[in-house]
Amino acid sequence: MLLNIAKKEILETSREGRFRIALLVILALLAAAAWTSKLYYSRLREAHELARANARNQWVSQDKKNPHSAAHYGTYAFKPVNPLSLIDQGVDRYAGVSIYLEAHKRNEAEYRAAQDQTGLARFGELTPDFVLLLIVPLLLILIGFNAFTRESEQGTLRLLKSQGLASWQLAVGKWLGLFLPAFGLLVVSLVISSLLLASMGPESLDLTAVLVLLAIYAAYYAVVTNLILAVSALARTSNVSFVILLAVWMMSSLAIPKAVNNLADTIHPYPTQVEFEKEVTADIRKGLNGHEPWSAAAQELEKKTLAEYGVESVQQLPFNWDGFIMQKGEEHDAEIYFAHYAKLKDTFDRQSAVYRQSAVFSPFLPVRFLSMAVCGTDYHSHWRFADAAEKYRIDLVGTLNKDLMNNSRTGDWGYQADASLFASVPDFVYTPSSLSDTLKENRSNVAVLVLWFLASAAGLLWSVSRLKPL
Amino acid sequence: MFRDGWMLALVLIFIGTTWFSLRNGQEKLTRRNLIIAESLNEQRTQDATYQGMIDSLNRNLLPGPEPWMDPRSLSVYGQRAPRVVAMHPRPLAAISVGQSDLFTHVVKPKLYGEAEALGFSELSNPVQLLFGTFDLSFVITYLLPLLVLAVSYNVLSREREQGSLRLSLAQPVSVLRWLAVKMILRFGAVWLMVIVPVTIGLFWVAGGLAWMGIAFVLMLITLYMAFWFLVSFVVNLVGRSSGANAVTLVACWTLLTLLLPSVVSQTANTVYPIPSRTKLIHEYRVAKAEADKRADEILDGYLRDHPELAPPDSSIENRYGFWLKYFASVDELRKAVDPVVRSFEEALQQQQTWADQFKILSPAMLVQDALGDLAGTSSAHYAEYRRQVTRFASEWRGFFIPRMFHNEAMTVPLIAELPKPPVTASTEYRVLYFDLFLLVAYCALVILVVAVVYGRITPARVLQQG
Repeated sequence: MLLNIAKKEILETSREGRFRIALLVILALLAAAAWTSKLYYSRLREAHELARANARNQWVSQDKKNPHSAAHYGTYAFKPVNPLSLIDQGVDRYAGVSIYLEAHKRNEAEYRAAQDQTGLARFGELTPDFVLLLIVPLLLILIGFNAFTRESEQGTLRLLKSQGLASWQLAVGKWLGLFLPAFGLLVVSLVISSLLLASMGPESLDLTAVLVLLAIYAAYYAVVTNLILAVSALARTSNVSFVILLAVWMMSSLAIPKAVNNLADTIHPYPTQVEFEKEVTADIRKGLNGHEPWSAAAQELEKKTLAEYGVESVQQLPFNWDGFIMQKGEEHDAEIYFAHYAKLKDTFDRQSAVYRQSAVFSPFLPVRFLSMAVCGTDYHSHWRFADAAEKYRIDLVGTLNKDLMNNSRTGDWGYQADASLFASVPDFVYTPSSLSDTLKENRSNVAVLVLWFLASAAGLLWSVSRLKPL
Repeated sequence: MFRDGWMLALVLIFIGTTWFSLRNGQEKLTRRNLIIAESLNEQRTQDATYQGMIDSLNRNLLPGPEPWMDPRSLSVYGQRAPRVVAMHPRPLAAISVGQSDLFTHVVKPKLYGEAEALGFSELSNPVQLLFGTFDLSFVITYLLPLLVLAVSYNVLSREREQGSLRLSLAQPVSVLRWLAVKMILRFGAVWLMVIVPVTIGLFWVAGGLAWMGIAFVLMLITLYMAFWFLVSFVVNLVGRSSGANAVTLVACWTLLTLLLPSVVSQTANTVYPIPSRTKLIHEYRVAKAEADKRADEILDGYLRDHPELAPPDSSIENRYGFWLKYFASVDELRKAVDPVVRSFEEALQQQQTWADQFKILSPAMLVQDALGDLAGTSSAHYAEYRRQVTRFASEWRGFFIPRMFHNEAMTVPLIAELPKPPVTASTEYRVLYFDLFLLVAYCALVILVVAVVYGRITPARVLQQG
């Protein structure tokens, strides 16, 4: 009986010309989205590989120069593009792709794709996640808003009830009839994306992650199905049901995310670039600077070091004092950057908490965050990359300063290190967070999604139990 | 139509969202203004401090500071007392956040440093950028059509479903006229309910002086609403049941506000990709490395990175000798990287112009773009600001370098002569006339559809449908 109802629902849907068209349009959109995303991704990956190789090449093939000059010349860390960005680009377009690594300064990631696009791009891009997150739920509403209201409007509810059908059976039947088409679309979409990924080499396709994505979106569609059927069972007419569902969809996926954005920014404002730089500079000025040997902090360090080694002047030290003070200054700066970035991260965490709490009002939010987290394109992944790059920068500059310190004499600025020193610094390698770690970090989003499912399922069963044939 | 309580609820919700959206825009604007004001204030304080120091030093009232901190040195003044080139918000900036969350509004070009190293990025949580702001532009582009559709989707079908349509059409009046009158009445009522709170809100955030811009916003809203009423009119005319009408109209809305823009944006970038920044970095570095080698002949490589090691002694003929060499090397660098950067900027400009023209494909894109133009927060405005900053940066250097060659010192009267950053240009309304014209064209197009559809409709069919 259950399956019969589901079958009948799907049959009815497929018989309606406009649903057939809508389904075809969405399938075409999903395919086009996957295809263009693949083009975008391949281009990005190619540019990234080239830039990475070039940066390394430029670094190791430097002419002989003073190690500190090399530290000023610096190099670039490029953020690897996650293959799964083919499915969900997350915040990638809004976070920079490369970080300039140089002496004395922690730079922000530069070159956000969104900055080079026009305002048009802010409408969103046709990517698989856009279709899966926004359009498919809307399609479900169009198909299912009158699932129950139609039965009562046509008087067929009485007929169904007379078959001795329990209300939960009816609910499950209708549920399958609505959920299965969405699930089918989801599977097709992910299969297309997986095939495209596999075509770019076996290492590009992380099947486990794709399956996790499948589970996340399936859970989302289950919640959406529950909500649609619950509203359809409660509403007096199909029109009312449609208006309510449309309003819920609009609020949940468009209005609430934006409103929460403003709320989060009001409660925990992110500093502007000017403010942030001002604070960092103020703190750095207070302390030791390798380029300002006259400063009080430098004088004090000098006195202390001379006493420690029991010598009269910096020239008598067993190492190059300039290299030593440069490294001390670097460590001081790094600490200040660390503290300020920790504060920034704290602000980000607080903002994230606001999003998490708001997920009570919008099942879209946890899915949005989970999807980009699994695809490695969320802000956490970006932080991870930026932190790794900073660690690499500190090691890089440290190696150069130590070479200056140990291989030259104080005041000997003519000292030049050769390419072997530059080659001895390992290349920057970034390993993204593992899937299990990502899921662990996002367990609250998973929990909220599960809660949404349970609550909406309970709501559905309750509303169906109240159904009375007219 | 006002008998239903939910109409009143809709209006109240609309007023609430309008207020919320303007409040959000206003909040961002306040912070932007604050940063600009603080930066300008710092600049004034720095000038005043240096003025006092120069005065005292000249009168030997102060011990001479380290040379690298002496404000009488042009090199110190040009580097340590930079001007603030600010992008002041336009009066209507609060209506559309646009690209303003991506870019900073305060840049201080200094005497030294590469022009390309000037940062224009705003520090922001990318999640915020991804979701976007709940601003008036969002309310108008996305929500306003839904309000229009909600009050108009069942004008004809409802009468038919209630059986009163036969009665209405028994009067000597055509279906078209009957529907038009009903629609115009609804349009008038909803228009008033939208325009009044929006106008009040706009005068609240922008003040009376921005009346011209406000008038444009109101015209955009009116035409955009008219467009959606007309779409609804067509659907009412050919539609069957209220439910079917609603589904069709929502499909139209999804197509024009969600799907089309995303398809256009994605297609534009696929067909004509944005030039690669990573490639630019590489080419820039190659050019720079070449220039560095040449510059080394002019200047010992190490000294360039370590200005503090420059001979502080002014017994040399020119006290800026070190810096003049530095400028020579920077010039060398600029000559080498300029073509690379310029060709990138040109390619980018072309791509953006090309992608931007597709906005005419959807009224939603037109309206959003026009609101961004009125607010002064579109990509074009930020590109213009970047050009202004770059121009001012060379003006700033151009003020100091010749004087440094002449071995002059910074004096108090010279402070008043320092180049002044440009003030952001006033709003350009010309492009907006084109947007308005296109919206009118869209309305005309739908009216044409009405005419065609109506030609095929007989009153009997209108009554029988459903």
